[in-house]
Amino acid sequence: MNAAPPMPPPSSSPSRTPVAVWPWPIALSLLTVFGLLSALLGQHGIWLALSWTSLSIPLVVMFACLVRARRRTPLSNGGQS
Amino acid sequence: MTTTTLRRWFVVHKWTSLICTLFLLVVCVTGLPMLFSEQIWDAFVGDDDPPYEVLPPGTPNASLDVMVAKARVMFPGQIVTQVNPDDDEPAVLVSMAPSWQALKDDEKYPDRHSGHWIKFDARTAKVLKQSPPSDAPKKPRTWTGIILGTATRLHMNLFAGLPGALFMGVMGVLFVASLVSGTVLYGRYMKRLPFGTVRRDRAARLTWLDLHNLLGAATLAWALVVGFTGFVNELQTPLFGLWRITDVRQILKPYAGLPEVSQAHLSSVQAAFDTAAKAAPGNKVTGLSFPGAPFGSPVHYVLWTHGATPLRGRLFTPVLVDARTGALTGAYPMPWYLRFLEISRPLHFGDYGGLPLKVLWALLDLVVIAVLVSGVVLWAAKRRIATDMRLRALGFDPDDVETVPTLGEAMR
Repeated sequence: MNAAPPMPPPSSSPSRTPVAVWPWPIALSLLTVFGLLSALLGQHGIWLALSWTSLSIPLVVMFACLVRARRRTPLSNGGQS
Repeated sequence: MTTTTLRRWFVVHKWTSLICTLFLLVVCVTGLPMLFSEQIWDAFVGDDDPPYEVLPPGTPNASLDVMVAKARVMFPGQIVTQVNPDDDEPAVLVSMAPSWQALKDDEKYPDRHSGHWIKFDARTAKVLKQSPPSDAPKKPRTWTGIILGTATRLHMNLFAGLPGALFMGVMGVLFVASLVSGTVLYGRYMKRLPFGTVRRDRAARLTWLDLHNLLGAATLAWALVVGFTGFVNELQTPLFGLWRITDVRQILKPYAGLPEVSQAHLSSVQAAFDTAAKAAPGNKVTGLSFPGAPFGSPVHYVLWTHGATPLRGRLFTPVLVDARTGALTGAYPMPWYLRFLEISRPLHFGDYGGLPLKVLWALLDLVVIAVLVSGVVLWAAKRRIATDMRLRALGFDPDDVETVPTLGEAMR
C-alpha cells in the first residue's frame, strides 16, 4: 500500500496543473478488495479485524473530504486547521 | 483521449446509468433490511419454540435411525421424504408426506400441503415440535414477515419469477458498464482537481459533480464486486438447470428406469450420513432425501454436503448412497460455473464477517444510493440547461440560468 500519496494540499480553487488522478482511487480500491477477501479467506481473528479496518478506510477518507469541504466556507477564506 | 471517444464514454455512462438507476435504487434500498434480516427477526419476532434441554457439553447425538423410526410410528402408512439436521441448533427436521405423488399433486393446488415435518432434539431424539396441520387456521403474517418478504422478492426478481431475475441480471450488467464508463470519465474530470475536492463556491452543479466523483471513487471497488456478484446470483436458476440436464442426468441415467425401493426395505439413514461424511471429507452433511424424490434416483439416498468455511460453505457436493445396500455410489463436486456462483454469494451478501462487516456493507450501500441520486441530479440539471438554451433560442429568457460548466460543453 506504499502507493498511497499524502493527503492532497488544501486548495480553494482547482489548480491549473494536472494532478495525479489515480493513486487515491487505486489505493482505496485495493483496500476494499483486500478487506473483502481477508474476511472471506481468513475467516477469524486478525483477518476479520483487518477486513473491517480496510473496508472502513474508504468511508473514512470520503467522510474526511466531506468534512474538509464543509469546513471551508463557500467563500474564498480557506480557514484550514 | 479525443473528444469523440470521450463523448462516446459519456453516452455509455449516461444511458447505462439512466436505465439501471431506478432498479439499482430498488435493490439498494431493499438490500438494507435483507442484510439485517437475522437481527430483525430476532428483535421483532423471535421464535416461540421451547428452549433446548441443557445437556453436558459433548453429549453425542442420537442415531438418525431412531428419529426416522419414531416418525414412522407417529404417521404409519406415510413416507419419510427428507432428513435435515439443523446447521446451528441441535435439532433434526424429519419431513414426511402421504406419498411422492401427493407432494407432486400439491403443485397443482396452491392450498394443499400434504408434506409436513417433525422436529427432534438431535441429542435425545425427543419430539420438539411439529408443523401445524394443513387444515389449521393460518397464523396472520407479521409485519416483519411482510416487509422482509416484499423486500426479498423485489430485490431478487421484482415479483416476476425467472424473467424478473434475468431482467435484474441485465440491470446488473448495465450497472457494471456504468461503473466502468464512470471510471473513465472520472479520470477526465479529475485531471486538474486534487482527490476529494468538493467545490462549494461555484455552481451547484459542480458541487453535485464533485460529490458524485468522490463518493463514486470511494465505493467503486465495492460496487463493482457487489454488482457483478449480484448479476451472477441472478443466473442461479438457469445455471442449476444446466447442471441438472447435463451432469445430473448423466449420473442418474443408469438408475432412472429402476422401480422405487419400498420404504420398508431401506438401509440405515445414519449409516448413509456417515458414508457421505467420509466420501466428502471436510464437508458437513446437511440433508438427505429419500429414494424417489424429484430430481433424485429411485434407489439412492441423495445427501447434500457443503464446506465448513465461509468460502466453501456454499459449495455443495451431493453424494449418492445406494439405499438398498448402503454402499457409496459416488460424490459429485459441482461444475465450475456453480462453484463460481457459490463463491460469489458471500461476496454479494456480506454475511461472512460478523456484524461489523454487515454494518460496513450497509454504509457502503448508503453511499452508493447517494452516488445514484447525485447522478440523477446531474442528469436532470443538464437537461434543464439544454431546455433553457432551447427556450432562449425561441426568444424566452429563463431567469435563473447558472454558468454552463465548460467541461459540460465538450460532453454534450
